[in-house]
Amino acid sequence: MRTLFLTGIFVIALPICCAPFPDGPLDNDEAGPTNVNTRLIVESVQVSGQGSAKLSDPLRSELSEFAGKNFDQPLLERLADRIKQELHAPDVRMHVVKGDMPDHVIVNFEIGVEREKRFDLDLARFLYHSKQGWSGQGHATVNIHENAFSFGMISDGDRLSERYAGIQAGFERRHVGTDRLQLRFDFASYHEQWNEATLLEAAPGDIYRTRTQFSPTATIVILEPLVVSFGVDFARYRLSLPVANTESSNAVVSTLRYHQRWGSAGDEGEQDIRASYSVRAGTHFLESDPVFARHETEARYRFRRRHQDLSIGFLAGKISGLAPLFERFVLGNAETLRGWNKFDLDPLGASRVVHGSIDYVYRGFLVFYDTGAVWDRPEHREQKQSLGLGCKKSGFQLAVAFPVRTGVVSPVFYAGMNF
Amino acid sequence: MRMRTIKPWWVIAAFLSGLAFAMWAEELVLSTQEGRLEFAAPRVHFLVGKPLERLRNASEVPFVFKITLWSGTRTHVLREVPARFVVSYDLWEEKFSVTKLVTPRRTARHLTDNAAEAWCLQEMSQDVTGISANEPLWARLEIRAEDSKESGLPFGRGNITDSGINLTSLIEIFSRPAATTQPHWTIETGPVTLDELRRGRRRG
Repeated sequence: MRTLFLTGIFVIALPICCAPFPDGPLDNDEAGPTNVNTRLIVESVQVSGQGSAKLSDPLRSELSEFAGKNFDQPLLERLADRIKQELHAPDVRMHVVKGDMPDHVIVNFEIGVEREKRFDLDLARFLYHSKQGWSGQGHATVNIHENAFSFGMISDGDRLSERYAGIQAGFERRHVGTDRLQLRFDFASYHEQWNEATLLEAAPGDIYRTRTQFSPTATIVILEPLVVSFGVDFARYRLSLPVANTESSNAVVSTLRYHQRWGSAGDEGEQDIRASYSVRAGTHFLESDPVFARHETEARYRFRRRHQDLSIGFLAGKISGLAPLFERFVLGNAETLRGWNKFDLDPLGASRVVHGSIDYVYRGFLVFYDTGAVWDRPEHREQKQSLGLGCKKSGFQLAVAFPVRTGVVSPVFYAGMNF
Repeated sequence: MRMRTIKPWWVIAAFLSGLAFAMWAEELVLSTQEGRLEFAAPRVHFLVGKPLERLRNASEVPFVFKITLWSGTRTHVLREVPARFVVSYDLWEEKFSVTKLVTPRRTARHLTDNAAEAWCLQEMSQDVTGISANEPLWARLEIRAEDSKESGLPFGRGNITDSGINLTSLIEIFSRPAATTQPHWTIETGPVTLDELRRGRRRG
């Protein structure tokens, strides 16, 4: 028995002793780190590049906590990802160099600048709604020396009471003398399709077959999170009357936007607030046929922490005067009062709207609650509610929504991205 | 106007010089040592370029090695042996460390670049007991540096923005051949018999 045991040891030890060694020592049966630099100590952590000053205090203090600890590449790479997320930077590269003290290293996170793409192709929106069918929007952009020329196609049966399909083209100059001023020219040409319910409700002079819009706007950054846009919107639409007639809806447009974001989606959570107020005024001064004033205010608060994502939205609007149908407010689509059919609520759209929604996502699982009302006369105002659940990940959403009402409840199913 | 034609001998010369260069550039050297087939590739250096750049930035770089052996005929695969190595570079000592990811792990430290490369090849040696001494053998060595997280998923964060799916990025990802995204080397040799290898060693 003892002989067998010794023979076993010999058989194992002999090849090990005879094996040719490399010019360094060989360690067997190691389960430790594979990166030899884990023995080194981080002397300091620095962040450089555009926007580094905007780094939040919690993340900055977390960075400084790495000093004095052993070099840990995966942890530092995760930190680089968090910097990238927080600053919405296109790239954050980690550079490691020898420190001043022996066996110490200095880690520098370099924030990259966005490389202007000469040619860009975007599928901006894609949606299937069980009541309204398919909607999609895509565009191609060519960037030449800070000038962006875009061309796109759209077919949307969700946002308005009509389905509009056609082409969009635009020119944008992002810096006009200063970073604070941008110019934009948009052109669109659409063909319209109408739902039976809308055709039954509408007056003959309300329905149009084609619509062409041209809209030059300027945007000024007043104070970093506060931006104001102003311009005009010239719209011409061909009515579906027996004697074809073209009308114009020319409006002065102005929008005030606020967007602030702080924190990161890591430990302390990221908060994001977007708010806007816009006014569109169709006036005889611009030779507009309908004269109206459309006010709309929107706000959205979003809180993200690790796998949780909470979003609270609010929308209110009012139209005074007689606006064309494409200016009227619609609820009951894939973004508002999900679960309701817009043609059941108001097939023509309405001149008043109030809407609120709460969305909560945990690990991609989505639940939401919507409430709101659209009306033209106060006596027609009726608050509606809906509930839904589904999944939401990286801009994709698939959900089923139910209107809260008595009687037969028919759920609405929708799937798509960026709506 | 008279058309200039390319002389055939120019084509042959270009082909032969290309072939000679390829033979000089890529050479897999086989030898036998106590029943094991050993590999050497003195002219192939994989600790260069992008992988070396990453190593000198304190990152570890995984490499995948694969040995393929054919015996008898070129269509009969005797064995395919993959192995994974993780290389890192000590910024202060300026030496390489290599870990072979097997159970138990094997690590070699304080190596020069050439020694680190040689150690990986040495770890790929194959047991050839049972193979006839006169049987022709072919061998191929493939080395591939694995990408870090840069490889990019089709629907990764960078491709979906607030303005939708960026189709340009997706086209870039799908139009990139898989083989060219990662630094890779492939060298072959054969046919050769174990007998010839043993004789060659005695002569050497």
